[in-house]
Amino acid sequence: MPLPRTAGGLSLDDLDRSILNLIQAHFPLVAEPYKAMGEELRISGEEVKARLERLKAGGFIRRLGAIFDSRKLGYASTLCALEVPEQRIEEVAGIVNSYPGVTHNYLREHRYNMWFTVIAQGNEELISLLDDIEARTGLKPLNLPAVRFFKVRVDFQVKGEIGVASDG
Amino acid sequence: MPLMDKELVRALQRDIPFSDRPFADIGLLVGSSEEQILESIRSLVQNGTIRRFGAAVRHRELGINANAMVVWIVPENRAEEVGTIMASFREVSHCYQRPTAGDWPYNLFTMLHGYTRQECRATAESISRATGIKDYELLFSTRELKKSSMEYFRGNGEDEMT
Repeated sequence: MPLPRTAGGLSLDDLDRSILNLIQAHFPLVAEPYKAMGEELRISGEEVKARLERLKAGGFIRRLGAIFDSRKLGYASTLCALEVPEQRIEEVAGIVNSYPGVTHNYLREHRYNMWFTVIAQGNEELISLLDDIEARTGLKPLNLPAVRFFKVRVDFQVKGEIGVASDG
Repeated sequence: MPLMDKELVRALQRDIPFSDRPFADIGLLVGSSEEQILESIRSLVQNGTIRRFGAAVRHRELGINANAMVVWIVPENRAEEVGTIMASFREVSHCYQRPTAGDWPYNLFTMLHGYTRQECRATAESISRATGIKDYELLFSTRELKKSSMEYFRGNGEDEMT
């Protein structure tokens, strides 16, 4: 029976899925973490490491490490939106993406179609970055910094049937 | 922040090695012991500076192709209560209140992820029922234009002063 295929062409089995489900929010903070994961999954630490290498190489794991709260590190952050004419999307995306402080940028289905996050070493630097984007694109970003935080918890549940075409 | 901690942040924001003792290896980079590194991480997780220690997965590669930013119009006097209810949904990964501006009337933002758009719509409907908020829109992403991790304290020596 063939293993389910993914968009990337690399197939994942149940063990890979278990690893991915475990490793997002339950990484063991111990001296030998891969051995500890192996104990939980009843495989060797060596196999855990090998599978992680493969998952990383295959593009399923973006990175493994500490995910910081930028505000706690003294950085300022915000979410911005632009209303970009269809024919200018590539051009404007290129400009917006050129800043290291722009970490995420997504095209969405709305009149405000380009949504991006900005992290900077303080509010002045942040506003200056946005002013720069406005000057270079001729478009003024909507600036929507959080006024109340309720939740950030990224922990995707990896299920068995993947590769099914979505309507998104 | 003391110099040591900035170095630690720099070391930790890269991928940790797939080695037998990855924290000992990080310790070698910054001149600390394995136990000191582990203690530092635990303490940073405890105080929320490290939001999460683990893997960031590429969810689109895993078939999680429906990603909706759902935006809601919530009366200010209900924002705290409604945001808390929204955050309690497992499918909601992010929940923030943000300002409104000009022609943008939505003040609560929830990120929903699913395998299909229908899944996301159904979750949004559940949230709407649970909160009584009927004014909302789902803004599905169609393209990931950029997804990168922030490099904190990139350091050219200038931020080394304590």
